[in-house]
Amino acid sequence: MQQSIRHAARLSTVLILAVAAFAANEVRKDYHFKVGHRSSVSVINQYGPISVKPATGHHVVVTAILHSDKVEVYESQSGNRVSVLSHLLPGADAESGRVDYEVQVPADASVTLHSTTGPLHAERLHGDVILEGNTANVDVRDVNAGHVHVKTLDGPVTLTNITDGHVEITSVSGDVALKSVTGPFVQVNSSSGRIQYDGDFGSGGQYELTSHTGDIEATAPAYASIDVTARSEQGKVENDFPLNPSHTSFVVRAGSAFAGTVGKAASSVKLFSFSGKIHLRKR
Amino acid sequence: MTCEEFQRVLPENWGGHTVEQKEHLKSCSACSELVSDLNAISDQAGLLQASEEPCPRVWSSIEIALRQEGLIHEPQPLRSLVPALPRWRAAWLMPLAAAFLMAFGVLVFERGTGRPQLAQQPPAPSPAMTAGVRLDRGLSVLAEDEQLLKLMAARAPALKAAYESDLRAVDSYIRDAELSARDNPNDEVAQRYLMNAYEQRAMVYQMALDRSLP
Repeated sequence: MQQSIRHAARLSTVLILAVAAFAANEVRKDYHFKVGHRSSVSVINQYGPISVKPATGHHVVVTAILHSDKVEVYESQSGNRVSVLSHLLPGADAESGRVDYEVQVPADASVTLHSTTGPLHAERLHGDVILEGNTANVDVRDVNAGHVHVKTLDGPVTLTNITDGHVEITSVSGDVALKSVTGPFVQVNSSSGRIQYDGDFGSGGQYELTSHTGDIEATAPAYASIDVTARSEQGKVENDFPLNPSHTSFVVRAGSAFAGTVGKAASSVKLFSFSGKIHLRKR
Repeated sequence: MTCEEFQRVLPENWGGHTVEQKEHLKSCSACSELVSDLNAISDQAGLLQASEEPCPRVWSSIEIALRQEGLIHEPQPLRSLVPALPRWRAAWLMPLAAAFLMAFGVLVFERGTGRPQLAQQPPAPSPAMTAGVRLDRGLSVLAEDEQLLKLMAARAPALKAAYESDLRAVDSYIRDAELSARDNPNDEVAQRYLMNAYEQRAMVYQMALDRSLP
């Protein structure tokens, strides 16, 4: 018994030392910038996550964890504009070139984030949010009255509780999920990714969800006020709403297209897929 | 010897002519030019063999493009074009078509590698464009893709597979959108597909080239 306890203790010591040695390669760096109203903050990171949250006061606070000495962080401030950039040194790869960023910005700041691998996260802001990542998982929530522009290749995109937004999402194969997203302009352009919208389409906005092969599913409450047009060239379309007929620029073929209005038709909703299925669900 | 007789036996006597054929060549400028052209093509094809060979994807893409243009009707390999033609024409077209495709493919491939502006958005397609122009652009697009993938393989090998897959998806989108726009030139939705497809392609290129990778 005593022997096994001693053995376990020895093992724990080795593990702690190993973790300490691993952590020793990590370097934490903190940066502080004082900015004014409506500042602009950009963080360009090849490998690793970037998370942005609102700060108290007009400060930009950046915490960077560098995973090796094969990556450096360049930072600069020019007036109200702050730039942070991970610079890879020769021999760096996805692991050794990784930097983890946690950023706090004034809530009214415009934020631009780039990361190849991500994930990218932004929340509780009311400035513009521009996110770009190849395989990065993108998550944006609680953004009000700003532009939300997202570009990914494979990375999935989730937008939650975006109000009064100008939303543009382009993804080749990443799934796109919009939950309670409203605004004057909401556009999703996907190739093979699945597009899901769950919300009431607001009042007076233009919503356009388009895919090549990905399915499109939009879920709205019975009280939604929309003028909807849906069409799939090679896929099926389904609709749970009773629609009042409306004019379309193309011939509506049953099963592959539908068009009509619900309520006062305050928002325009266009759902187009080349070969994916389209379903407008009633919640 | 008539021209028809000369041309009928020419494939069998390629590389050496009989006295009768030589006399015909002296007296017939048309056949003489034809033999001269074939010799030139044959020489160039020989040189091309020694140069860098495009990857199999280029060849398969040529086949896909030809099939899309309706030049190949059966889902068979590219070489199936030749046996379907009459024998006398096949004899002429075999070396000609092979040399032409090889020269064209390599030319486009090699020109593509020298282009500095990869990120330029392709021009907006016209529904009325000819089959030849579409084939040309299809090859050009593929050459650009190959160039981009080479770049990714050198700069970020881990990302190459993802880019290859994405480019394939986007090119497929463009092909479908182009066909749809061509068949329905006044259809706004078809035009929308086309714009979106090209926007995606531009995005892929922009992402690949914007990175300050080592």
